[in-house]
Amino acid sequence: MLAALFVEARKLNRSLAALLAIAAPSLIAVFVFFNMIRGKAPAPWDMWMGSASAIWAFFMLPMSVTALTALVAHMEHGPKSWDNLRALPLPRWKLYAAKAVCVLAVVAAMSALTLLMVWGAVTLAAVLKPELTPTGPFDLAAYARTMGLMFLAGLLMIALQLWTALRFASFVPGLVLGIGGTFFAVVATSAKEGVFLPWQMPVNMLASEAWRMNTALGLGCGLGLVALVAMVVHLSRREVL
Amino acid sequence: MSAAIETTELTRRFKRHLAVDGVSMTVPEQAVYGFLGRNGAGKTTTLKMLLGLIRPSGGTARICGVDVAEDRLGAARKVGALLEAHGFYGNLSGRENLDLTRCLIGLPRTEVERVLEVVEMTEHAGRQVSDYSLGMRQRLGLARAMLGAPPVLILDEPTNGLDPDGIADMRRFLAELPDRTGATVLLSSHLLGEIEQTATHIGIVHQGRLVLEGELTRLKADLAPEVAVETDDPVRAAALATARGFAVTRTPDQIVASLKPGEDARAASAALNRALVEADVAVFAIGPRARTLEGIYREVSAPPAVQPLMQPEPV
Repeated sequence: MLAALFVEARKLNRSLAALLAIAAPSLIAVFVFFNMIRGKAPAPWDMWMGSASAIWAFFMLPMSVTALTALVAHMEHGPKSWDNLRALPLPRWKLYAAKAVCVLAVVAAMSALTLLMVWGAVTLAAVLKPELTPTGPFDLAAYARTMGLMFLAGLLMIALQLWTALRFASFVPGLVLGIGGTFFAVVATSAKEGVFLPWQMPVNMLASEAWRMNTALGLGCGLGLVALVAMVVHLSRREVL
Repeated sequence: MSAAIETTELTRRFKRHLAVDGVSMTVPEQAVYGFLGRNGAGKTTTLKMLLGLIRPSGGTARICGVDVAEDRLGAARKVGALLEAHGFYGNLSGRENLDLTRCLIGLPRTEVERVLEVVEMTEHAGRQVSDYSLGMRQRLGLARAMLGAPPVLILDEPTNGLDPDGIADMRRFLAELPDRTGATVLLSSHLLGEIEQTATHIGIVHQGRLVLEGELTRLKADLAPEVAVETDDPVRAAALATARGFAVTRTPDQIVASLKPGEDARAASAALNRALVEADVAVFAIGPRARTLEGIYREVSAPPAVQPLMQPEPV
């Protein structure tokens, strides 16, 4: 299994998926930087880090997961390498499990990178405009915990997106699912039922009502793990014609 | 000679379409076995069943004695495959691509350099695969198939898309492979010339069925020569030849009469010529010709351009 994981990680080298993993957090950092530099008065760290987390969970995470899973799956679909991989003397579930772990690791790394880059952007803006230096404490543990919860609540969304992307050779089903899911997550923001939508589960980690947070976390993480296992079993047993 | 690959009544049905219909083939050890057939004849489906990529609807497949359905991993350890789609990662170098496969199947690092040397790709191995020509990708695919020196190599259309130089290169590689590596090669192709110059054994698959199999030189020798006749009236010529006991195939401007094994081709040509001239059929050219793989293939796969004459037509 370690060999399969190592191979998956090496495939990312110089890939578009790796570029995306850096680009998406950078975009949030750039946005926060220019937003701060336009300001007239200083704001607390919590405001900057909170707004960055909200942008990440509400929009950038679902869209990044859509693109990332499509790109990772296309590494095999594009050159039609499934047959070559599946013909190897290696249990097939390891190929899919390694792919899933690799995607989860990249999303986790993107979450961490978002925190790091936003901290960097705010610090840089404060250096350029000292009068805007953020006020209040910089509670890294709390910000990291929030990002971690968003990641866990996003497991179901990640599993569904990856399953679709690996199952279909075309980009289209995965993109339709991801764009559609994000759209409905946005329009159903205030609806109670929205909490059951996998693409809205991460942003519910910022909800003030405890039931929303607990429901989204429980469903997103629990069903996400079940979906990942089901995906590995389904794909490894399936014939690729 | 024991069998490196053996299938018994191997069958695969896709809904209503019978893609492979009871194929029983035997590939002897260290043979270069040319697996011939038109596009859609069932070659790739058969190969995919041998590699355990798809499950047979019936029958069995064995690689070096290991049943593919019962022990896929055991069978896969005996096989290296070059499939029609290379499946290389363009963002990585040739060496890195090979190293990924090496890593997955747990081979020592030196194995990559060994196979690169075999396919003469060492000096290009550091370049990204996206910059490779098709011929280089095919060679890299061959190198990947040889990782771990498996006793059986399955190569699906290895010369597809290559230019004439690339085809000649690949042909040389394939012909030398059993001597250089000791491997048995199952080579699927629809290019008769390529198979004729490379293979020691052939199997011809037509509409999902294996219609002919054997050692190529023996097949050519066993099948009697034939007499080709160019004439102004192929219909009457065919009827006359059939009446004299020849098995005849006819095209718009010639007939080809198959001789019985052991029959003197020159004497048969003379006799047939005499019969045609006496019947007032103009003969432009006549003479015996040796059987070629193309002739054998056309006979067993009955393409539309050559119509077998089943019944003598009235003269």
